[in-house]
Amino acid sequence: MNGPKIYLQINGMNIITQTTVSSFVVMVLLCVAGYFLGRDLKKRPGRMQVITEKGVTMIYNLVEETMGKHNSYWTPYIATLFLSSICGSLIGMTGILKSTTSDISTTLTWALMTSFLVWGCTIKYSGFKSFLKGYINPMNIISDIAQPVSMAFRHFGNIMGGGVLMSLLYSALAAGSAALLGLIKSYGVLEIAAVGVIGIVVLVFGFGKDKLWMKIVGGAVIALAVSAALEYFGVFAKVPILQVGLPGILSLYFDVFSGGVQALVFSLLTMVYVGMACPPREEQTK
Amino acid sequence: MTGFEQIVGINPWTALFTFCNMIITFLLLKKFLFKPVKKMIDSRQKEIDDMYADAEASKAEAAKLQADYEERLGDARAERDRILSDAVSRAQKRESEIIAEARQGAAAIMTKAEADIAQEKKKALNEVKNEISSISISIASEVVGREINEADHSRLVSEFIGKLGEADD
Repeated sequence: MNGPKIYLQINGMNIITQTTVSSFVVMVLLCVAGYFLGRDLKKRPGRMQVITEKGVTMIYNLVEETMGKHNSYWTPYIATLFLSSICGSLIGMTGILKSTTSDISTTLTWALMTSFLVWGCTIKYSGFKSFLKGYINPMNIISDIAQPVSMAFRHFGNIMGGGVLMSLLYSALAAGSAALLGLIKSYGVLEIAAVGVIGIVVLVFGFGKDKLWMKIVGGAVIALAVSAALEYFGVFAKVPILQVGLPGILSLYFDVFSGGVQALVFSLLTMVYVGMACPPREEQTK
Repeated sequence: MTGFEQIVGINPWTALFTFCNMIITFLLLKKFLFKPVKKMIDSRQKEIDDMYADAEASKAEAAKLQADYEERLGDARAERDRILSDAVSRAQKRESEIIAEARQGAAAIMTKAEADIAQEKKKALNEVKNEISSISISIASEVVGREINEADHSRLVSEFIGKLGEADD
């Protein structure tokens, strides 16, 4: 398992890496989408506008519930963070680009942005004295360091771990399918044909009784027989046939679900920390 | 491509680019998506609120107008009743007046008529007296066969008739 690819290196500094490119693509995607969604707004909305407004309202409600009504103006930043995170995680599923969030540089940058916002808001609303007073207890210094580090590593670890698990799974399945095909090949043409016939029978039954699982199993067995035949006649060797299907289901968890949850957790933590640093007006005067 | 980075490694350049990308995304999304959409939602909300407020105001005004009209209607009814009862009482008064006048008039006519009758009667009686006297004179002259002094005769007849009148009464 490697880190991001390096595209441009000057004087030993890795200036442009895969993460940089992905991050740029995410930015362009979000900005273009935002521009087109926010264009041509009407009092009587069309379909897209209704969806856009619903989404924007949902984020506003989430921010107002978590941070309080007075912090409603933080919504664009939180939404940017959330969208960048979720798109950055999902972009890894394209296979060409790498998830921006599986690079600790990205998540640490976001976590540090949150920390600086918290410190800035504390100084702005409670005063510099009060900000320094917080560090009379030295444990607070540790907590202030631990906070961004834990946020960064939580996000990074989840996406990264998902990626590692998926690549492990892929290589395991490749090895498994090679072994399976080798086994079938060692029996000869008749056995391969028999497997194919079984597959066709199961598939036909599946269509006859309209049972989804029979169709799937039949199709899988036919595919297995076809790839075994290809292997036998030496057209394609070691087709990783088992990689079809199963990784897709697991990817739904490791990439989609995990990416969504981590994006939500990251933005929620940011909201909570920044929200605590920005109390309502009446408390600011105290 | 010149190889791979470490799997867990911090690259300050990546961090810098990420930071810049975040700021750019934030500013653009805020300008092009969040501000206009929020503004649109708020303005629509405001419009709806205004419409509801207008409707409430119109409703209140209508209720007020209705109350006003009802009050006026009640006033008008009371006025009408008053006028009616006034008219009725006046009419009744006038009626009794007219009746009284009529009675009075009738009574006057009656008295006058009675007076006329009495006079006529008296006149008639006088005429009858005169007639009778002249008749009786002629009868008497015929019966007695001689001329009685006219004056004496009249006196005699008058006495006679006076006795008659006394006997009549």
